[in-house]
Amino acid sequence: MTRRSGATTGGIAVAAALAVGLLAGGAWAQQSPESVAQCLGCHDDPQLSLTLKDGSVMSLHVNPQEFARSVHGSQLVCTDCHAQYDQNHPSGATFPTKRAYVIAAYETCKKCHFDTYTRTLESVHYELVKGGLDSAPVCTNCHGAHNIQNPHEKRAMVSRSCATCHQAVYERYARSVHGKALVEEGNQDVPACADCHTHHQIEQPGTKRFRLGSPEICIRCHGDERRMAKYSISTAVAQTYLSDFHGVTASLTRAAASPASQRVVVTCVDCHGAHDMASPRLKGHAAMKATVAATCAKCHEGASPDFPAAWLSHYEPSLRHAPLVYLVGLFYKIFIPFVVIGLVLHLLLHLYRVSAGR
Amino acid sequence: MREAGAAEYVVRFSFWARFQHAAVILLFGALLVTGMPQKWPYLEASRWVIDSLGGIFAVRWLHRAAGIALSALFTAHLVGAITGVVTRRSPPSMLLSRKDFQDAVDNLRYYIGWAETPPRFGRFDYRQKFEYWGLIFGAVIMALTGFILYFPIFFSRMLPAELIPAAKVMHTNEALLAFLIVLIWHMAGAHLTPESFPMDTSIFTGKIRKEKLRREHPLEYEERFGGQ
Repeated sequence: MTRRSGATTGGIAVAAALAVGLLAGGAWAQQSPESVAQCLGCHDDPQLSLTLKDGSVMSLHVNPQEFARSVHGSQLVCTDCHAQYDQNHPSGATFPTKRAYVIAAYETCKKCHFDTYTRTLESVHYELVKGGLDSAPVCTNCHGAHNIQNPHEKRAMVSRSCATCHQAVYERYARSVHGKALVEEGNQDVPACADCHTHHQIEQPGTKRFRLGSPEICIRCHGDERRMAKYSISTAVAQTYLSDFHGVTASLTRAAASPASQRVVVTCVDCHGAHDMASPRLKGHAAMKATVAATCAKCHEGASPDFPAAWLSHYEPSLRHAPLVYLVGLFYKIFIPFVVIGLVLHLLLHLYRVSAGR
Repeated sequence: MREAGAAEYVVRFSFWARFQHAAVILLFGALLVTGMPQKWPYLEASRWVIDSLGGIFAVRWLHRAAGIALSALFTAHLVGAITGVVTRRSPPSMLLSRKDFQDAVDNLRYYIGWAETPPRFGRFDYRQKFEYWGLIFGAVIMALTGFILYFPIFFSRMLPAELIPAAKVMHTNEALLAFLIVLIWHMAGAHLTPESFPMDTSIFTGKIRKEKLRREHPLEYEERFGGQ
């Protein structure tokens, strides 16, 4: 994946260099459809702008190099997106604000990206757009317009596009064990914003439903044996949580139709953090224990300081960790078959005696 | 009907005994239905049971209610049994004695053909006594661990918190064992056995055929109806 996208990036760079070279040679008109050249005849002017009804100035400049370097540069012409503009399109302040123009224009994306567009209709962002919030993002706010890059290539870019609005959350994320690995090392195994929140069908994260479903998100990676082996992280973290009382509650009620039948129970993020998750290994045993104790105390008022020991910290019981729990389990592993086999033998002997005749 | 008096019935169980048995069926059944889906919550069948009963919170509530009711019944049983024995109104017929272990050995010898006749049993044979005492110890374990799981905060204030996950392992395994014993030993041994097939009705009607009593509990028969 990384290799292939590297090759694509290289390809784009070559294409861009070529385009710039050709442009410099004045050969643009030969290489691109006439319509593009026609548009650029006016729009390649950095000064070209428009005063909208609200008095703000909207630039109408399109940078040809930037467009050529974009993911659409070699595939689309201007009128593919701006279909309503012919050669004699009106000029002047036809929109009250720049936002009004964006709202009117962004739906052009759905001509090609229909499935993606429909997913956004179920997102919390679309709810806000519908509600008239001007800062709520539509396609172009995250992806850009003439400078769209392949979003699968640079996950750091995804983080940055979210960060435009969610600055504080992004900063916390960037300091987390996941964020650091992505931002500083370019690690592709760690999640960026969209890996947890999804790309387009972004759910309101403040709800009980989202909270109760959140372990599923963590388990997608933390239950993945191959990926976790690279970092010597145990995948038992998933199983141990899911088989615990709280894990069962979360799993069985997250899909409930009404929030009334859902209750807030502890999930991964309560001990490990949502955006500022730290590695328990780096955090240290004592600090992690204290965090767990504080988390228990949030709901379990009056619990003894020892109470967090009721949670086995994702360890499978063994002679080293929770020997009592391990020994009780071991006892029944032997005792149940012993009793059952004994009883069955007794029954069979009885039947044997009856069938053999007295 | 083969011989005269074959259809003659005698009373064997009091109303209180029959009531307890019926209540145990009901409550043990309710605990199994609400408990097993909690033991294996991710099975399709468990999901179906949980959804049918109104969700996991309803299931847990029903389980606790049935647990409390069975604990109360169990307490009442112990109080009744102990006062009965102490005031000598009922014989200590459920107490284990040396004879029961001897009976077990003799009965097995009879089964494999090393003895000509089976041992002669009293009011309760060793199989019934072992099951009874298994039930008593099982009930103590289930009630204790059940209440620890019901009130973990309270118990962790007096006992090490590791007891809570240990109680969970114990509760779930002891329950499985109890279920298997009832299924194999009680259902197959007491009802489906050739002597009683398809079922022994005496614990429901309170009556037993005199002939059956004489064959299966000869010592009790002789005590009540004289020798022979």
